[in-house]
Amino acid sequence: MKFSKLIYRNIFRNRLRAILTVLLMAAIFFFIATLLSILENFTLFSEAGKGQNRLATQSAISLANVLPVAHEQKIRQIPGIADVCQMQWFGAYYKEPKNFFANFAIDHHHMRTVFDDYAVPDKEFEAYANDRQGAIVGPELMKRFGWKVGDHITLKSTIFPFNPELNIRGVYQHPIDSSSLFFRMDYFQQAMGDNGLVGMFWIKVKDAKNMTAVSKQIDDMFRNSTDPTETFTEKEFQLNFLSMMGDIKLLFHSISLCSIFMVILLAAITMSMSARERVTEIAVLKAIGFPRGLVLSLMLIEFALLTLIGGAVGVIGGTFVYRFVNMTQVTQGFLVNFGLYPNPIIACLIASLGVGLLAGGWPAMRSANMSVVDGLRRVV
Amino acid sequence: MEVLVRIENVKKIYRRDEFDVPVLNGVSVEVGRGDFLALMGPSGSGKTTLLNLIAGIDRPTGGRIIVEEKEISRFSETALASWRARHVGFIFQLYNLIPVLNAFENVELPLLLTRLSKKERREHVTTALNIVGLSDRMFHYPRQLSGGQEQRVAIARAIVTDPTIIVADEPTGDLDARNAEDVLNLLARLNDEFQKTIIMVTHDPKAANHARRTLHLEKGLLVEMLTGSGIATVSARAEA
Repeated sequence: MKFSKLIYRNIFRNRLRAILTVLLMAAIFFFIATLLSILENFTLFSEAGKGQNRLATQSAISLANVLPVAHEQKIRQIPGIADVCQMQWFGAYYKEPKNFFANFAIDHHHMRTVFDDYAVPDKEFEAYANDRQGAIVGPELMKRFGWKVGDHITLKSTIFPFNPELNIRGVYQHPIDSSSLFFRMDYFQQAMGDNGLVGMFWIKVKDAKNMTAVSKQIDDMFRNSTDPTETFTEKEFQLNFLSMMGDIKLLFHSISLCSIFMVILLAAITMSMSARERVTEIAVLKAIGFPRGLVLSLMLIEFALLTLIGGAVGVIGGTFVYRFVNMTQVTQGFLVNFGLYPNPIIACLIASLGVGLLAGGWPAMRSANMSVVDGLRRVV
Repeated sequence: MEVLVRIENVKKIYRRDEFDVPVLNGVSVEVGRGDFLALMGPSGSGKTTLLNLIAGIDRPTGGRIIVEEKEISRFSETALASWRARHVGFIFQLYNLIPVLNAFENVELPLLLTRLSKKERREHVTTALNIVGLSDRMFHYPRQLSGGQEQRVAIARAIVTDPTIIVADEPTGDLDARNAEDVLNLLARLNDEFQKTIIMVTHDPKAANHARRTLHLEKGLLVEMLTGSGIATVSARAEA
């Protein structure tokens, strides 16, 4: 690259302006990479059960409606089902509303077969199974509240009329979910007066090929009952759950696009100033024989490199920030195992390059097309 | 003397808003290889325009400009840029060095357009800087050089590709008398010693005295031709 020195020196010819531009780009692309990574985090979470052959059966009316516990036995009669596990979203917090996290009542008899991707040491699971008020907790949550196995805790319910008092009996390990709490379904049912209702059923299907057929059979079975069901794959269920928060994806993408548009305008101002300051120099380059295409390329490379450096600083900075900042704690469990993911990083680097080309395109073209005589005559 | 540049009935009209401003009204002149020609005249007489046309950075409205038997006024923009890179060295009044590059890198710029290796480029640049007497300022940036030194770097940049013609637009216009004399002596040396063809625009009769010939322009017309010692012949006539 014979021209690399010229490009490099021109990028940093006005050091303050270059640094401010890099910082602006870094801040914007840190923000965009964060938004896109939040979406990626959601998607990853929705794929947490990939390969687990799990179906989720909920009320056909809405997730907030309950189903009769008696449905379980009927579901079990469908061929191809390995096991069924009752589950109830409990929606409690610890001590203060800001300490909100995911907590569920679960049928401990079937938990290990249906959720076999949640690994609990046998001894700890045994202690949990022997304690009606036992609970299994994710490691991130243990860390967040400083809990230890054996601790006695009280959760405050936001939905149900009782506050479970629980004994932590074990810590599970899961590749993605590290911040949930599970307590026993029989404790929940007892506290609720054994009303025979439950939030949903998780169904383990023996063969992945039968997922669709089993799903259809379950819903067909209850279609004309007073409590019809709707059955989803685990991914569909998680995505439906997320969509209850509104169209976050559209919102995040819109914010990202607005930010990029804004940064293109800001970068265009900087690059126009830079090009304007160098009208005479560019005229000199053209006079000594630099062809128009070369002048245009040199300027575009310079502008694109400047914004790419900004984008890189933003995403590399973000990677470090999220390595040291516990986002699970900061977001009160909303984001689990959060960091900047490769796809958002790559998207941001490409976008930062695009910002340079788009913002610098007009000033670079104007400079490259200006006649040598006009350029030499111009007093800047 | 072999004719290097032939200008035939060249006209140039600039358009300023809705007005046509004629700058050259039919100039014909020949410049021989190895000549040192000064173009003189009052402001607005068209001398810089004529220089720009010869250097191929502007196009005539009418007439022909032929350099080494090639009609450059018909070249495409790309061909003209390539031609300038090979055949023209530029010296400007305000030096116009690239401030972010040091003396060596500024002189090297025109060579970046050639296929020379890094080593060959270094040799050429060193030779050019030696000729202008600035080999000890090679790695100084323009801001670290005096006006006279900057202009000598610009001269080194102009000669580094061994061009056919060197064009200089008021090369001493921004210099004090001593530095101006140094620069003019250097140009005269390039002409005498290296047989470089130089065309120089100047207001200064003392500067013009260093040239072999002087052309006088007035209101876009070539009115007389002088030698360094005085009026010799009127070789070209206005064709208004």
